Order: sequence, then structure tokens, then C-alpha cells
Amino acid sequence: MTSQPQIVQPPRVAVRLVNLFSSDKEAETIEGDLLEEYTHIASKRGASFARRWYWRQTAKTIAHLAGTAYRTAPWSTTSAIVGGFLLRRLTARFVEPAIFAVIDRYQIFEHHFSTYRFLASTGIDIGHILVFLFVGWVVALGAKGREMVATMTLGLIFGAMAVIAVLVMVSRTGDGAFLWRLTWYFADSFALVIGGAIVRTHRSAATARPSIA
Amino acid sequence: MSGRDYLGEFEHIIVLALLRLEDRAYGVTVRQEIELRTHREVSIGAVYATLNRLETKGFVKSHCGDPTPERGGRSKRFFRVTAKGVSAVNRTQRALQSMTEGLDLVRSYS
Repeated sequence: MTSQPQIVQPPRVAVRLVNLFSSDKEAETIEGDLLEEYTHIASKRGASFARRWYWRQTAKTIAHLAGTAYRTAPWSTTSAIVGGFLLRRLTARFVEPAIFAVIDRYQIFEHHFSTYRFLASTGIDIGHILVFLFVGWVVALGAKGREMVATMTLGLIFGAMAVIAVLVMVSRTGDGAFLWRLTWYFADSFALVIGGAIVRTHRSAATARPSIA
Repeated sequence: MSGRDYLGEFEHIIVLALLRLEDRAYGVTVRQEIELRTHREVSIGAVYATLNRLETKGFVKSHCGDPTPERGGRSKRFFRVTAKGVSAVNRTQRALQSMTEGLDLVRSYS
């Protein structure tokens, strides 16, 4: 009777992140290499040491893959980022009119005041999140093979712009409550990256070939 | 002769690792060989980024092995140095030797 080598499962989130950033061609080999070493380290030095090693490798690997993705196609990646920035500026102006059109159409102000309050405040923020999700999706479609780099860069740009804008507002008005707005702005950037991850996952699934388990 | 004919520092290390490992050279063994000899922690991403660049330049070639159970059914990607790669490593070695010739590095600069 022969014994099969016991495979200890590495951190799922880390595996997923490496997959999102690597090309379809690289994903299988990188994941296999990391799993092989992880299993070996876990059997020699314990699971928690191996998990820490896996996360360290994941962080460094993602940094290298992102850098390589940008260096190999700087112009198309930059075009996708600039296009996404302009698309967001174009579409964001329709969020409030669209929500107020719905409020008017169904006479929500007259009949459901609490719903009106929700739509006119949180509803607008949710509308912006959906716009960012859409922009992330479009940017990722345009940046084939570099979906995560393009959407993460754009997310960081919007995040940095939001931080600067909020700090200016706080310094001008002295009202620290503006800082709470940052949670919505960071959610916008996160939605943008999620849009990229959706496209990346869909593309990976479309090109994945069955592997022998 | 252009700068493209020479190898960068990490490219040089990777090609030397491939030459040492011969037909056992794939991501894991290359990474471990570098860590063992240079005592420098290297990520698998850095190894593949450099190997892909070297393959684009025609200095290395790769082929996929069979899927194995210890890798969860994923196959290994084996690498070997091409004749062009061997020439590049020799040229880089000669350039380094010629630049260090006559320098007493330990005594003069330590």
C-alpha cells in the first residue's frame, strides 16, 4: 500500500490574490510551486510558520507581478487608467439626477418619507459605489491581462484624491465629521477593484483547463 | 554589442542557478538554490518575472512537466539555458572580471 503525500491547504485568500495578479499561463505553475514548498515547510516547521511564509511570498510575488504587468505594457495600462478616470467623471454626474428622478417618479417624498431620506443620503453613496463598480469592470475589460494592476492603480488615485479633498475640507471648516466620508470614498475605490477582480475571475474561468487532482 | 547582450544582476544569478541545476531547474529549485547560495530571501514572483524576461530575450527556454500530486495536480515549468544565454553569461562574467581586475577590493575598500 502506498501513501499519498499529505497536502496542507495554504491560506485561501493568499492563493486567490496570487491567482488574480498572475496571468493564466503563470497561475498554475506559481500556485503549484508555492503549494509544493508550503507543504514541505509545514511538515518541517509547522503550519503557522508555513502560513507566515506563504503570506510573505504572496505579498512579494504580487508586488513583482504588478510591476512586471505595468512594465510590459505601460501605454495600454495607462490608457485604461486614464479612460477609467474620465469615465467615472462622466458617469458620476448622473447618480443624483437618476435617484431624484426615481423619487419623483414614484412620489416617494410624499408617501414614504423614511425611504426618501435613505435614498437622498445613503442611496446617493450607494449609487456612487455602483458607478465605481461599473468603471472598474470597464477598465478591466480594456486592460486584458493587467486587470488588477489597472483597477488598483485607479483605486489608489481616487483614494488619494479623496484623502486630500477631505483633509482640505476639515482644515477649512474645522469639522472633523468630514473624516467619516472617507469610509464611503474608500468603499468607492474598493468597488473599483472588485469590478476588476470580477472580470479577472471570469477570464481565468473561461481559459482554465481541467487539472488532474 | 548593446546593453541587451549583458545580463542584469538578478538575471545573472538566475542563469547561473539554471546552469547548476541542469534538468532539475523549475521555480522551487531555482528559488531554493539562490537562497542557499546567496543567503537572500527571494520570492517566487521575482524568479518568474526574471525567467519570463530571459525567455523573451531568448536566453532561456521552458517546457511544462507532468502534473504531480504534491503540487495539487499542477505541472512544473522546467527551464534550461540556451546557447545565446550561455554566451550572455560568459560575456557578463568577462566584463565583471575585466572591471575588477587589479582591484584589491578587500584591502582597499573594506
